[in-house]
Amino acid sequence: MRLIDLLRTGSFRLALLFLALFGIASMVLFGFLYLQTHEFVIANIDAWLGREAPKPFRSSVAEIERSFAAHAANNQGMEHVFVLYGPDGQILAGNPLPMPTDIATFDRPFNFQTQAEERRMRHRGIAHRMEGGDIVLIAQDMYETREFDEAFISTMLWGGALTVGLGLLGATLVGAGTARRLDDVALAIQRIVSGDLSRRLPSRGTAGDLDRLAHVVNGMLDDIERLMHEVKGVADGIAHDLRTPLTRILAGLERAQRRAASPEAYAAAIDDAIFEIRGVLKTFSALLRIAELEDGARRMGFSAVDLRQVARDVIEFYEPVAEEKEILLQLSCTDSGPIMLNGDASLLFDAMANLIDNAIKFTPARGRVTVELDHAAEGIVIGIKDTGHGIAAPEREAVLRRFYRSEQSRHTPGNGLGLALVSAIARLHDLTLAIEDASPGCCITLRQTRPALPSMI
Amino acid sequence: MARILIIEDDAGTANEIAAALTDHGHEVAAAGTGRDGLLRAATEEFGAVVLDRMLPGGMDGLAVLATLRATGNEVPVLVLSALSAVDERVRGLKAGGDDYLTKPFEFLELTARLDVLLRRRTSPQRETVLRVADLEIDLLTQTVTRAGQSIELLPREYRLLEYLMRHPGQVVTRTMMFEEVWHYRYDEPTNVIDVHVSKLRRKIEIAGAPPLIQTVRGAGYILHAPD
Repeated sequence: MRLIDLLRTGSFRLALLFLALFGIASMVLFGFLYLQTHEFVIANIDAWLGREAPKPFRSSVAEIERSFAAHAANNQGMEHVFVLYGPDGQILAGNPLPMPTDIATFDRPFNFQTQAEERRMRHRGIAHRMEGGDIVLIAQDMYETREFDEAFISTMLWGGALTVGLGLLGATLVGAGTARRLDDVALAIQRIVSGDLSRRLPSRGTAGDLDRLAHVVNGMLDDIERLMHEVKGVADGIAHDLRTPLTRILAGLERAQRRAASPEAYAAAIDDAIFEIRGVLKTFSALLRIAELEDGARRMGFSAVDLRQVARDVIEFYEPVAEEKEILLQLSCTDSGPIMLNGDASLLFDAMANLIDNAIKFTPARGRVTVELDHAAEGIVIGIKDTGHGIAAPEREAVLRRFYRSEQSRHTPGNGLGLALVSAIARLHDLTLAIEDASPGCCITLRQTRPALPSMI
Repeated sequence: MARILIIEDDAGTANEIAAALTDHGHEVAAAGTGRDGLLRAATEEFGAVVLDRMLPGGMDGLAVLATLRATGNEVPVLVLSALSAVDERVRGLKAGGDDYLTKPFEFLELTARLDVLLRRRTSPQRETVLRVADLEIDLLTQTVTRAGQSIELLPREYRLLEYLMRHPGQVVTRTMMFEEVWHYRYDEPTNVIDVHVSKLRRKIEIAGAPPLIQTVRGAGYILHAPD
């Protein structure tokens, strides 16, 4: 991972921003503390000066000389300084501190620096000019404040360095972690784009933001993979379903070219070709119908439809077919009133007809096919039940796919689109198609998934 | 047989329709836009109009039809519509004596429907008895006789026969029968109709006599008196 990548990661930048904000806040806090403490120290000195100063200032020069000399004899250090200067700045009595060169104000505390024996000293003191021109100076060394300042600044520098160091380290770690995860995700996406559809985005199993995103994207990828397989299935189905009749057409036409001697033979070959092509077109029309139904545009032509009437009509339509196989085809209904559904009567007829057609096809002679209508509180249920060999559980989802032909149905006429069409019609009407075991046989139900919309009429 | 006006913007489709209708014996004229088609339909005499529902130029097929009817022109119209554009207005065409066909369609279907439209205008149906050869049905008592012998039919078989008898000598396709007898629209022709027809045949045909109902391969049926 390059540095530039790290610098570009959002979490690294965010960490830096927080570091800067924390730094500014610390500086403000430190400054405030410094000012407060400094003021406190100065106030302490000023209080001491206020206590010590008034007495000598009011005394005579002689008294001052005596008391200062006594103090100086007892205190060699320069911490507390009591000095009496002559008018020319010469030390008359007290601690040996040279007279400050610039006494800004008299009788008020002030800071000053003095140079004595190669040592620079800082004091805060109060000066008073006596009547004779002598100057009395009482001062306290500012050593303490300097010490405090130094300690304070070093603390601040060390603290700052530590904060910046730790902050940068943290930002780098977080940034690098994010960058690595993003690299993993980007790599996974590249693999998917290059065709490995079964690959998924890496997830750490936590509920972090990237994980949540990865979860959603993985769900989407599942869907895409399923759709791609479906498209492939349909494409394979079309290819297979077209190749067989096209091969037959070609063979027939070539045979006519080779052997047909009479106009009648040619006409027969053309008739055969037309018959086959019609079958191919039928497959295409069925596919287009399904696509169109999935579009939902046909909802525009919806009106109130009595399902009971449609069921009766379908049964009446299929009765002769059932009779030929000696299958009992009947309607079973819980109540006798009309069962209204907002929909397209022809499509509903088509769906039921397809299901009944299948049921009759796969039910052995002398079996039974029942159309059940139920207007339950939770919605309308249409069930087509037969006494055939049923659909094996693993196959139940597959039979809804376009062009799927089960082993048993492979040799019966049909294009494998019937149930896909029914499924599309059901979806258009907000019905859910389910394949259930009726033991013996199979029951295909269409269940209303949500309450019927108010009818348009 | 008749002059037919084709109003269709797609030249390829229009040519194919024209060829099919010419082969079927009709005389054909074509218009490419709604406006042009309306002008020709209003000024010339046609037996029927084949009208595409989707037309460019701000005037679609149903608008052409509405304008035509508003001017009192009663020429029968067959509307061609995409399946997704079949709504109440298109379905209502049948009630007004016109018809519609969804694209793509087979030309046999087109010519069969046109023949019915053309015939409907020339022969108003006021008869109470329909007769083809020695087969006779009485529309009032709903009884069927063949060569004087009464034949028992189920209600649906009777309606199927009535529909065939109303169009003697004309090809009726499975989808037309399905629409007229069962009153549903089925875009996929189904061979269940064949089972119904064969049941009907078993009841009305007489052994030895030439059959009245004949199968038209790939299209449907035709009922006519044997030559």
